[in-house]
Amino acid sequence: MKILVLNSGSSSIKFQLIDTQTHQVLAKGVAERIGIKGSRIKYNRPNQPEVHFEGDILDHQIAIEYILTILKSEEYGVVKDLKEIEAVGHRVVHGGEKFKQSVLITDEVIKQIEIVSDLAPLHNPANLKGIYAISALLPQVPQVAVFDTAFHQTMPKHSYMYAIPYSLYNLYKIRRYGFHGTSHKYVSHKAAEFLNVPYEKQKIISLHLGNGASAAAIKFGESVDTSMGMTPLEGLIMGTRSGDLDVGAFVYILRKEQITPQVGSILLNKHSGVLGISGISPDMREIEQAAADGNERAKLALDMYAYRVKKYIGAYTAAMNGLDILIFTGGIGENSVLIRKMVCDELSYLGIKLDYDKNQQAIGKQAIISSDDSQVKVLVIPTNEELMIALDTEKIVSNN
Amino acid sequence: MAQIIKERLDKFVLSAKDRPKAEFSEIGLVGCGRVGQQIAILIAKRGMNIIFVELNKAKIEQAFREIEEELDRQISHWGLTQSEKRAILSRIRGTTDYKELKNCDLVIETVLAKTRGQALEFHEEILTKIEQNVSRNTIIATNSATLSITEMASKLKYPDRCITMHISTASREATLVEVARSIYTSEETCRNVRKFVILLGKDYIRVAESTGLVSVRVFAPIINEACDILMESVASIENIDFAARKSMLLPLGPFELADKIGIDKIVRWLDNMYDEFGEKRYKASPILRRLLRAGFLGRKTGRGFYFYDNKGHKTGVAYKHVITPPEE
Repeated sequence: MKILVLNSGSSSIKFQLIDTQTHQVLAKGVAERIGIKGSRIKYNRPNQPEVHFEGDILDHQIAIEYILTILKSEEYGVVKDLKEIEAVGHRVVHGGEKFKQSVLITDEVIKQIEIVSDLAPLHNPANLKGIYAISALLPQVPQVAVFDTAFHQTMPKHSYMYAIPYSLYNLYKIRRYGFHGTSHKYVSHKAAEFLNVPYEKQKIISLHLGNGASAAAIKFGESVDTSMGMTPLEGLIMGTRSGDLDVGAFVYILRKEQITPQVGSILLNKHSGVLGISGISPDMREIEQAAADGNERAKLALDMYAYRVKKYIGAYTAAMNGLDILIFTGGIGENSVLIRKMVCDELSYLGIKLDYDKNQQAIGKQAIISSDDSQVKVLVIPTNEELMIALDTEKIVSNN
Repeated sequence: MAQIIKERLDKFVLSAKDRPKAEFSEIGLVGCGRVGQQIAILIAKRGMNIIFVELNKAKIEQAFREIEEELDRQISHWGLTQSEKRAILSRIRGTTDYKELKNCDLVIETVLAKTRGQALEFHEEILTKIEQNVSRNTIIATNSATLSITEMASKLKYPDRCITMHISTASREATLVEVARSIYTSEETCRNVRKFVILLGKDYIRVAESTGLVSVRVFAPIINEACDILMESVASIENIDFAARKSMLLPLGPFELADKIGIDKIVRWLDNMYDEFGEKRYKASPILRRLLRAGFLGRKTGRGFYFYDNKGHKTGVAYKHVITPPEE
């Protein structure tokens, strides 16, 4: 089945056309600067030069109209007729408590997504624009919403509640939701498949270490805890986000720096994390280089980053009463030999033993990097959220 | 790196149906002093392009220098990142030629006339120059809170596209935009300006055309009253500010606010309201006039009620030139 996967942001739309039978990406690209001057669509097909389409893209619907036309165009197309696109899968960031799995999009579902938009005001409305556009342009094609939060909806209440007045949960649904669900689900399934072990019997920790970063504890096939909370700010140290922080410190900073909560939020989301500590860059490659050159703050950033991940591994191993598989994914997880080593060193108590050679070899590809006698299998699994969305979409469309 | 093929997007359309016009992609500004700079930054922040008209090259350079200083201040106060600063600067252009406003969807004038007597004519002239250089659909807005848009627009060919849009810039975090229509303003202009305000991420209120609108009319007399309290020696400058901050939980006291907005502007507001309403409470305090005449206009000149360093940080209170009687 050919499925179009859309990830609509406030001024961009990423797209991939995926053949679910072969898992092949037929074409992919991104429409940038929608509604702003200087907009364009970058477009790629396997073994073909990149194409940049330049011109005005006034809104999401027009962007998608262009994308569809390009996909079926004579010069650059990959389908003869738009009818070949049998379904569209949308990434939707926040599904609130309502959506525990991917769903076929109906008017009722759209209404529900609109209601939970309050929880992700930057993301959900943009995701909805993509849905409206497809409804207008391809009204007969079924659409599926795949939520970043859905996979974590299996978390037990004692893990997702914050210890604040319960009335706030009743009033505003303040709780932990977690994100990167599609990625954690994909890599954990993939790991079990790769090791040829039953998914439902494993205790897995999945570490999605990218620009954003989160850890998930997956016990017997269900997410039982994850490090991101009500927003993607909680948990691990990230490129520019602080991760866990004493709220008391936050209030103190607001007072001392005389800034509003909104600016405070920018401080924690854009000026903190690895960038904030090192003062160099949010990019882990640059940090590793600077640390190798002897920069003390870069070293500190690395140490803090790895230490925070290690703490979460310990916590989640305790939460699951054991650990079978540890997965690294995301840009850093898939490529940083150093971070993986720093995270896994001195975890022998938990039965984690890295094979340094294998670790060294595993860059951007699926591999086992633990030693043969390691009790816990440590894996690198490249994530593929788009494929997961396509597969979920296929499953739901086929069942309806 | 493999070659990249460039293509025109407009070759790739599904249907020939009419496209909606992008309503706000380029915004014009006439005058790029402190207020104009704030407005330029907040529009560019939302991804729109800005072209501002200034009198000469030196003024353009000064505007860019001050915009950059302001962006650096925002970065050091955690409100902005370096890459956002670059993106904002890349969207702002300056010119001395009104002709370059021709592609603007909206032009906002933010100038302050040299003297009170000339204000109306001066603004009329500017609006006329704008109109001569833009298309029929371009909205022309004034940022003035105290001049009548009906009066200013009456000489224009198409006054239906004129409107008052007073964007609060007293603080970086201010979010209010007061919109007032003239007798001529069309419904469509009002609707589009509302869309623009929402696009800016600001809070919109519609008010009737009235000198001082709401924000200026509420706050300018408070500053005047604070000057009276000072003249009566009821309390010191710092304590009057302190009292306002601590009792009403205002972020700034009246003198701090006056210094921030600029004494020249406050006096102009008060004068215009006094002309309109004729009430004593709008009569600018002698203290404000004394500061104005001395050119002690607040933060931007390094002194007003307080002294400021070149970064705009308060360094002390300026008693001497404000209230101390002459010595023998």
